[in-house]
Amino acid sequence: MNHIEVESSHLDILLVEDSPGDVRLTKEVFRDTNIDIHLHVASDGVEAMAFLRREGEHVSAPRPDLILLDLNLPKMDGRVVLANIKADANLKSIPTVILTTSESEVDIARSYRLQANCYLSKPVQLEAFENLVKSINDFWLTKVKLPQQRQGG
Amino acid sequence: MPLERLYDLVHDPGNASAKVAEAPNSAEEALRDSEEKYRMLLDEIQDYAIFMLDPQGVVVSWNAGAERIKGYQADEIVGHNFSVFFPPEDIKQGMPEELLRITATNGRHEFQGMRVRKDGSRFLASIIFIALRDLAGNLRGFSEISRDLSESKESAAKYRGLLEAAPDAMVVVNQGGEIVLLNVQAEKQFGYRRDELIGQKVKNIIPQGFAERLIADGTRTAAEALAQQIGTGIELNGHRKDGSEFPIEIMLSPLESTEGILVTAAIRDISVRKAVEKHLGQMEGRYRGLLEAAPDAMVVVNEGGDIVLLNVQAEKQFGYHRDELVGQKVKNIIPQGFAERLIADGTRTAAEALAQQIGTGIELNGLRKDGSEFPIEIMLSPLESTEGILVTAAIRDITTRKKTDAHVLELNRSNEELGQFAYVASHDLQEPLRMVASFTELLARRYKGKLDSDADEFISFAVDGARRMQRLIQDLLAYSRVATKGNDLLRTSSEEALRRALMNLRGAIEESSALLTHDPLPTVMADERQLIQVFQNLIGNAIKYQNPGVPRIHISAARNADKKWTFSVKDNGLGIDPQYFEKIFVIFQRLHKRDEFSGTGIGLAICKRIVERHGGTISVESQLGHGSTFTFDLAGSEGKS
Repeated sequence: MNHIEVESSHLDILLVEDSPGDVRLTKEVFRDTNIDIHLHVASDGVEAMAFLRREGEHVSAPRPDLILLDLNLPKMDGRVVLANIKADANLKSIPTVILTTSESEVDIARSYRLQANCYLSKPVQLEAFENLVKSINDFWLTKVKLPQQRQGG
Repeated sequence: MPLERLYDLVHDPGNASAKVAEAPNSAEEALRDSEEKYRMLLDEIQDYAIFMLDPQGVVVSWNAGAERIKGYQADEIVGHNFSVFFPPEDIKQGMPEELLRITATNGRHEFQGMRVRKDGSRFLASIIFIALRDLAGNLRGFSEISRDLSESKESAAKYRGLLEAAPDAMVVVNQGGEIVLLNVQAEKQFGYRRDELIGQKVKNIIPQGFAERLIADGTRTAAEALAQQIGTGIELNGHRKDGSEFPIEIMLSPLESTEGILVTAAIRDISVRKAVEKHLGQMEGRYRGLLEAAPDAMVVVNEGGDIVLLNVQAEKQFGYHRDELVGQKVKNIIPQGFAERLIADGTRTAAEALAQQIGTGIELNGLRKDGSEFPIEIMLSPLESTEGILVTAAIRDITTRKKTDAHVLELNRSNEELGQFAYVASHDLQEPLRMVASFTELLARRYKGKLDSDADEFISFAVDGARRMQRLIQDLLAYSRVATKGNDLLRTSSEEALRRALMNLRGAIEESSALLTHDPLPTVMADERQLIQVFQNLIGNAIKYQNPGVPRIHISAARNADKKWTFSVKDNGLGIDPQYFEKIFVIFQRLHKRDEFSGTGIGLAICKRIVERHGGTISVESQLGHGSTFTFDLAGSEGKS
C-alpha cells in the first residue's frame, strides 16, 4: 500500500481491485490520461473499508475523490463494500463507480439498488479500456462537481 | 270294452254270450248260427274294427267300428281281400299272406302294425288275428279285431292335444322303432305329412342314434336303457324329406302303454343354436388369433382379478407357462396397481372405473417367475362377456424405453452441462487473456523500435495471436449465449428486426455502397435480439463476400406448406461451392484464408443455432460466382406486419 501526502491540486482515487494485472493496467492507463491523479489501491474489501475509515496502517489515508470498485473481491465482497459505504454517513457522498468484468443484469440492478453512482463494464480490448478511463476522467474527475469535504491529513 | 273280452267273445262265443240259448245242430250250422247271433252284437261296436275273413283273406263281414276306423262301407269291402288295409310295401313283402299263415299255425296272432284307410291315410293299429276252425279242426276263416291306437283312448286325445301344444317336434315311437304318433311341429320340421310318417321307421327321419337307443341290449332292458337317457339332451342329426340334414337335440321319455313301452321324443331343431355356437367359436378363435398376433403381452382378467386368458408374449415376458397362469391371480405377475383398478369403490362401478383407464398407459412393475421385476406399461380395455366384464390388458415391457428415456435425460443433462461449461470456460478464459492481450499491446506501443527487430516481430505475433483468441472466445460466448441466454419467443415484427440489423451494419453498408431491398415482412414468433443477429450475420456475410462491384441484397419472406414463414436473403456475391453447403454452418469452419477475409467462422453457426432454437431450419442455395440465397424458416404469428 502506497499513498502519498496530499496536495490540494491533485485528485485521489481508491481502486478496489484484487488482480495485480488489472491494478497495474489501470494505473498505466490513468497515468497516460491524467498525471494529477493519485491512485490508491486496496486489494480486498476489508482493506478498502480500513482505508476509507483510516484504520490501522491507513490512519493517514486521504479521503478519495472517487472510488473504483470491483465486485468480486476476497475477504469482503464488493457488493458488501458498496453497501457499507452507502450506509456510512461519512462515506456515502463519495462517488462510487463499479468497474467490473461482470455483465450480469443481476449485478447491475443490485449495484444501483445499493446506490452505486454508476456501473461500468471492463472492456476486453485495451483500446476500449483506454477510452473508458478517459471517459471516467472527463466526466467524474473533470466535469462533475464533487463536494468539498476534504478531511485529508 | 277291453280287447281280451272281445277276444273271448269271438273265440268262445258259447261262454261269452250265455243268453244265446239255442243249441246248434251241426258244427257248420252252429257256426253260422253264432255268426248270425253275434254279428248283431258286434256290428254295434264302434271302437273296434271287427270283421271276418275267409281262409283266403277275403272280407266276409264288417262292423260299424270297421266302417268308422277304416272308412269303407260294408258293401264296398265285403268280397275284397283284406290286403287292401296294408301299406303297399307290406303287401310287396307278402305280409298279409304271412299273417294268415302265422295265425293259422298259432291260432292267434297279436301285433301292432300300420293300416291304410280307404282315403289312403295311415294309422297305427293294435291288431288281434284269430283263426276260426270248425269242430273238426278245419280252418274256416279268420277274425280280426283291431283298434286305432292313435285314438284308442280318451286320454290319447288329451295326449295328442298336449303333443300338439308342445313347442318342439314330438314323435312317439314304439319299440320296433316305428313312429306311432307325431305333432304338427314334427311335420314341419321334417317336411313330411303326418300320414307319410305314421308307421314309418324313425330311422327315416333320425338316421342314427335314436333307434339304437330303443333296443335293449343283452344286459339291460329297453326300459333301463331308456331310463338312462331320460332328461338328457342327445344331439343328433335330423333328416328331412328333401334329403337335407339339420342338427337336432332330442329328449326321450318312456310312456307305459297297453302296447308296451312307447318312447316320446321331443325333437328340437338346434341349427340356430349350433350356428350361434359356431359363430361364437369363430369369434373366440378370431379374438384368440388377435390376441396371439398382438406384439404386446396380453392378459385377460375377470373382475375377481383371475387370469382367464393370455397370449404367448405374456408367457415369454413373465417366464411362466400358460397353464401356470390361467386361473391365477393377476397380482402374481403385476403385484401393484392393476388388481386395485378392477375393484369398484363405493361411488363408481368397475366399468366406470375402467372407462377412465381406457387408452391411458399406466406404468407399473411386472414380476417374472424368477422373481425379477421389470417396468411395464399397461393399457386396459373392458370386454363384455357372458362371465361379466373381462378386462383385456395389453402389457408392454418398457425396460428398453426406460433405459432410452434415462439415456436421453442423461444426454440432455450432459449437453446442457457442456453448454454451460463452454460458457463458463470461455468467460473465465477471457480474464487472463485480457491481461495477455493488454500488456502485449502496451509492450508493442511503448517499446516498438527500442528493442531489436526480432523483438518487434515477436511482440506483433503475440499481439495478433492474443487478439484472435479474444475474438474466438467472444464468438464462442455468443454461440453459447444462443442457448443459455435466449429470451422467450414472442410476437416479433421481422421487418423491425431487419431495420435494427441494418442499423447495426450501417458502417459496412455505407462503405460497400450495397443496395438493399426487401419485401414486406411478417410478424413471427421469435426472440427479437436473436432474429436481429440472424439478419445481421447473413447480410453482413452478403456484404463481406463480394465481387468487385455493387452488392445487391434482397430480403423476402413467403408462407410455406407448414404455415411457417420462409425468409430468404439473396445476394449477388461470390457464391459457394455446393460441396461446402453443410460445412459453412459448422462452428469455426471457414472457406477463406484469413488474409482474404477476416472472421472466425462463427456467424453462420450462430444463425443455425438460433434458427433451430426457433424450431426451424437454415440452408443455402448457391453456385460459385453466381451469388447465394440463404433461407430459414420461423413459425408465424397471425397476419403480416
